[in-house]
Amino acid sequence: MTALLEVKDLHRSFGPVKAVDGASLTVDEGSVTALIGPNGSGKTTLFNLITGHLRPDGGSVRFGGADATTAGPAALHRRGLTRTFQQARIFPQLTVQENLVVASGFTWRELFGRRINPRDAEAAQRLLEEFRLAHVADLYAAELSYGQRKLLEFAAVLMSKPRLVLLDEPTAGVNPVLIETMEQHIRERNAAGITFLIVEHDMGFVMRLCDPVVVLDRGREIFVGTPAEVQQNPAVLDAYLGA
Amino acid sequence: MGAKAIGPARGAVFLLLVGSLPFVGVQHWVLNMLVFTLMYAAMSSAWNLVGGLAGYPSLGHAAFFGIGAYIEAIWFQHHSVVSGYEPFYLLPLVGIVGAVIGYPFALVAMRTRADVFAIVTITLLFVGQTLAFNLTGLTGGAQGLAIPPAPFSADSFERPYYLVLLLLLAIAMGVTWLTMRSKVGLSLSAVRADEDKAAAIGVHVGGVKMLTFCVSVGITAMVGGVWAAYESFIYPQFAFDPLITIGIVLMTFLGGRGTLWGPVLGAFVLELAQQYLAYTLGGNEYYLIAYALVFLVVMLLMPRGILPTLQARLRSRRRRRAMPDDPVAEPAPPPIGSAADYAVSIPAPNGSER
Ligand SMILES: Nc1ncnc2c1ncn2[C@@H]1O[C@H](COP(=O)(O)OP(=O)(O)OP(=O)(O)O)[C@@H](O)[C@H]1O
Ligand SMILES: [Mg+2]
Repeated sequence: MTALLEVKDLHRSFGPVKAVDGASLTVDEGSVTALIGPNGSGKTTLFNLITGHLRPDGGSVRFGGADATTAGPAALHRRGLTRTFQQARIFPQLTVQENLVVASGFTWRELFGRRINPRDAEAAQRLLEEFRLAHVADLYAAELSYGQRKLLEFAAVLMSKPRLVLLDEPTAGVNPVLIETMEQHIRERNAAGITFLIVEHDMGFVMRLCDPVVVLDRGREIFVGTPAEVQQNPAVLDAYLGA
Repeated sequence: MGAKAIGPARGAVFLLLVGSLPFVGVQHWVLNMLVFTLMYAAMSSAWNLVGGLAGYPSLGHAAFFGIGAYIEAIWFQHHSVVSGYEPFYLLPLVGIVGAVIGYPFALVAMRTRADVFAIVTITLLFVGQTLAFNLTGLTGGAQGLAIPPAPFSADSFERPYYLVLLLLLAIAMGVTWLTMRSKVGLSLSAVRADEDKAAAIGVHVGGVKMLTFCVSVGITAMVGGVWAAYESFIYPQFAFDPLITIGIVLMTFLGGRGTLWGPVLGAFVLELAQQYLAYTLGGNEYYLIAYALVFLVVMLLMPRGILPTLQARLRSRRRRRAMPDDPVAEPAPPPIGSAADYAVSIPAPNGSER
């Protein structure tokens, strides 16, 4: 397998806080890689650095074989890298359906076409039904619950055709049945060639879905291995127990 | 199918009704008042594209009004007015020049947002005014410029201006309607809600912002052009007037920004109220206080503007009827954002007098 994403020695501080402190990791094309670590270990910051939402103080990011260290989110999206946020970032003033359509990506010509054409509506409807959001399709996203927002942002990512998807705690606040639906989607999309990097605290989810697992502590990776190896590694246990 | 035709039909009825007024013996002072109302309605509707749909509170639109006025005036220093219709023939050019000037400006200004954007845009207004005062060779400076008056007959003098302004209003509303129904409108809504996220998921953020701004200021410049011809004498302080900007913004907020009819409604309410109060309260400036009161009372009762408030009420009532026990059917949180989220960005009218 070839590396789709290569992160080397990334650094980023906020004042005295070294949020990411020499992190390196590789995400192989076609994998579902997990990124785990205690609260505040720098997972979200690392996501922000990779996706161009933050500039690193040092280190490099390569995506698809080309440098991506200073590329912005829009440029990276064009290159096939997309993400969700820990606090779901949906468009509250758009309807649920519109949130999906706007994420589907359209050309300049389509821009002047109908706001929602039948094809858009159909594609959105399919996803909404699977995630049990069909009955709220016409509500403003502002009216959704926390879990529903997470589902909506996740579904929106599936509307475009990315190469690499970064998910920041996709299952937080989502009910177990829908977590299974999410798993299924990730598996399907992964089989179709999409690579995933997932931050997740739900170890069951990680064990069932991800391989390899990267463990982050205090801004740098301390272990990389299969889920089973991670569970038995003393350094990982230390990090989690706050030794 | 029937529901689909309601929007355009409503628009056509409105335009026909308003368009028929100059032909049914309405008095001159009323028509004159309506000319200014239509002027503001067209500009508010155009402003709404940028300030409402895209969520960029421009305070510089009056600069383009002034630019349009001066293009007309300068042109007719060197060309003659024969039939009286020549100033109207020039309007497409005025619109294009306005849009072309708007482009590089927006390219810079639209890198800023919210209150910073408001301040950057108002700068353009004062730059325009200063230039108009000081480029005396071109603009006549404080002396102003005259456009030869049109030889229209006295009993229907307002009519051509009235109808052309109505046409500009129709264009502004037509553009708004088409925008809202297209993915340009969808993209603009995303920009207004969360521009960074929109850019990050591949929305052509820069493109739709530029396009909207240029169209909006192009229409505004054309209104300025008609105004110059109607007044037939223009001065820098009236062509580049902060009060015009404030009027446009207040009207759009009053009627409901981000809606098709809100800016038009706001212009009819506020401009007619202002003219009426100025007329009845006479030569003193008390009418300005009354005018501010009208605005304050409406905004206190309906903070999101008249139309969005009514729409939200209708929507929640309809939904409550459709599913009486659904917990989600509570009144919707503000979809278009409350006036409060612009509170920092709109200086009080007296702030501009310093
Ligand atoms: N914008 C910021 N400004 C200041 N400090 C920040 C900022 N973002 C993150 N930090 C700090 O960086 C550290 C890492 O935060 P980060 O959000 O990356 O952790 P995390 O691993 O995602 O945690 P969690 O599992 O709780 O989501 C924390 O100490 C946090 O306070
Ligand atoms: Mg986090």
